[in-house]
Amino acid sequence: MSILIDQSTRVLVQGITGSQGRFDTEYCVAYGTNIVAGVTPGRGGQEVKGIPVFNTVRNAVDETAASASVIYVPAVGIKDAVLEAVDAGIRVIVALTENVPRHDAAIAVAATHAAGAWLIGFNTNGLISPGKSKLGGIGGDRANELYVPGRIGVCSRSGGMSAELSSALALGGYGVSTCISMGGDPITGNCMVDYAREFEADPDTDGILFYGEPGSENEQGLAEALKNGEITKPVVALIAGVFQEDYPAGLSFGHVAAMIRSSDDSASAKQRLLKDSGAYIAHRLEEIPKLLNSAIG
Amino acid sequence: MRLTEEKVKSWLRENKFPVPEGSAAGSPSKASQIAKELGSVAVKAIVPTGRRGKAGAVHLVDTPDQAAEATSALMGQDINGYPVKEVYVEAKFPIKTEYYLSFAFGPRAPKVVVSRHGGVEIEQIFERDPDAIISDDMDPLIDMRPWDAVDLWERAGVEGPILARLGQLTARLYSAFRDADAVMIECNPVAVDRDGHLSLVGAMMEIDDNAMFRHRDWSSQGYSFGAEGRILNERELAVMHANETLPGGAIRYTELDGNIGILMGGGGASLLQHDMIIDFGGRLANHTDFSPAPSIDKPLAVLKAILENPNTKSLLLSFNYLQLLPCNILVGALCEALRQKDIDTTIFPIVVRVFGPGEDTARAMIEKFPGVRYMPPKASLDEAVKLIVSLTNEAGADQSIS
Repeated sequence: MSILIDQSTRVLVQGITGSQGRFDTEYCVAYGTNIVAGVTPGRGGQEVKGIPVFNTVRNAVDETAASASVIYVPAVGIKDAVLEAVDAGIRVIVALTENVPRHDAAIAVAATHAAGAWLIGFNTNGLISPGKSKLGGIGGDRANELYVPGRIGVCSRSGGMSAELSSALALGGYGVSTCISMGGDPITGNCMVDYAREFEADPDTDGILFYGEPGSENEQGLAEALKNGEITKPVVALIAGVFQEDYPAGLSFGHVAAMIRSSDDSASAKQRLLKDSGAYIAHRLEEIPKLLNSAIG
Repeated sequence: MRLTEEKVKSWLRENKFPVPEGSAAGSPSKASQIAKELGSVAVKAIVPTGRRGKAGAVHLVDTPDQAAEATSALMGQDINGYPVKEVYVEAKFPIKTEYYLSFAFGPRAPKVVVSRHGGVEIEQIFERDPDAIISDDMDPLIDMRPWDAVDLWERAGVEGPILARLGQLTARLYSAFRDADAVMIECNPVAVDRDGHLSLVGAMMEIDDNAMFRHRDWSSQGYSFGAEGRILNERELAVMHANETLPGGAIRYTELDGNIGILMGGGGASLLQHDMIIDFGGRLANHTDFSPAPSIDKPLAVLKAILENPNTKSLLLSFNYLQLLPCNILVGALCEALRQKDIDTTIFPIVVRVFGPGEDTARAMIEKFPGVRYMPPKASLDEAVKLIVSLTNEAGADQSIS
């Protein structure tokens, strides 16, 4: 098993006729992803690499029963693209767009949650269940090399680091059940603890690896779930960005941002918090397999 | 992007929010002229920072002559690191009661914070009288309704006829906050005079840099900031300009106080390697964050900035396995920057860890630059980082001997 996607997932691509959409789609199809439709308004009736293109997500879903969507739409249109997918009943949405305006991101996330759907991103390079399916650019043309099938769930705030983490696992004799680049923008659809719960429930995942960065409250939610016993599988976390604490924070402009932040969101504070909650903290990629080894055996 | 007070106030005025009369002055005579019309005024330094009162950047005066004096005292001063070039001359508002109101972002949605006490820093109110502060998450899918806003103020302990006016103002300001793509608006104080008139006497605002495509009119008006809250230098501005005008993925460049120049791909690998460089005893001359895309323009722009920085004594070009950008394009940008900046690679240490498509071509290109260390295939991030730190330290030692 794996989480969120597998070989049976029927996938559509919003923005399939753009260069990035075409490029990634080709590698996804080659990998075995079941891409059933593309959507670009005004290009309905055309085909991209044999995949039928529709004018709207609703038409594409009606015709092909797609349940997941990968979105290649620039920041200016991303909010509407997500809302359109939600409206058409898509369950798993991958939004690759980065630097999404904060208000747009908040609206898209709220709408996704209201519909009970799952939103990966913003600023993700996708997710992969090795040997089964991949959505987005993750792994490029060497997904087989970088992501070895196995029993560790991976969730990363950084797209590039998802490849480094998975390679480090492979070097240490571990493989990946599902690897998710959850999104690096300040606002993401789902957060670390959501992924931890999915991996906890997945019988084919033995341990979970997280990569985090300063900012956001992702690690706090994860730490709470570890403390209250909701997450029982071993968790290894690598949190980068400790160097930022070396530099003066700068003069604060407004006061409210610092006040509403419920706790210290620096890298070292996150490391301490997760460690105190029972997670294993890696400082280098090479340490990850060793920590897993002592936790899982 | 932070907006200074006169910009925020004029935006509020345009949107029909009550603010005291006032305008900017670039000279004492202009300040005195404005004060002549307004009577008693506050003369405030126009600098993109808070805590101006504490820094002595606000003078309360009663005559035009005093306004001119206050202006000459402030001009050229340095307030929290920013030179004063202009002052804002604003009519004194006869304050009877002060409240606090702000909008900002929580983890997933905007938050509103109100308090029945205003005029002092919100942190202080929080320590002294936490019950006076009410903070709510907003539902991004709906606007704030005036009655919800009334409820907020009521919960914060406000009573009487002012509730209706505060509620209406708060709901309308929230809507303006969204329309402007603001990420923060802080009004402190929201003042009320004896007759019950409201005025947004203190107002700060920050606009979402990522939403500038909807607000072209703002783009020349604010201040963008590098690390440590300082104004960007010419090289940082050049990279920012390149980021806005050239094709390719987003790129950021911030100078720091060390000597190792870096260009790294992806936010995550940059953070991790930066930590490692410090662990191994190095200091960085800059931080970069680059989303790789198949184009030479942006890496070239940032590499030129790195090499132009007088503090840069070495360079590490280190990326995750490249998925979107062929190695030969990235390394091609390096070769071009080295040629343009006429760098002697036998003296200036450079380490390259770039793996992926186009790697063979990239390795052949680098051979024309003797001394550049291209890491062997599968070399770890650790190895590249250790090498650049030791090469930089050796080069520094050589220089200090000669």
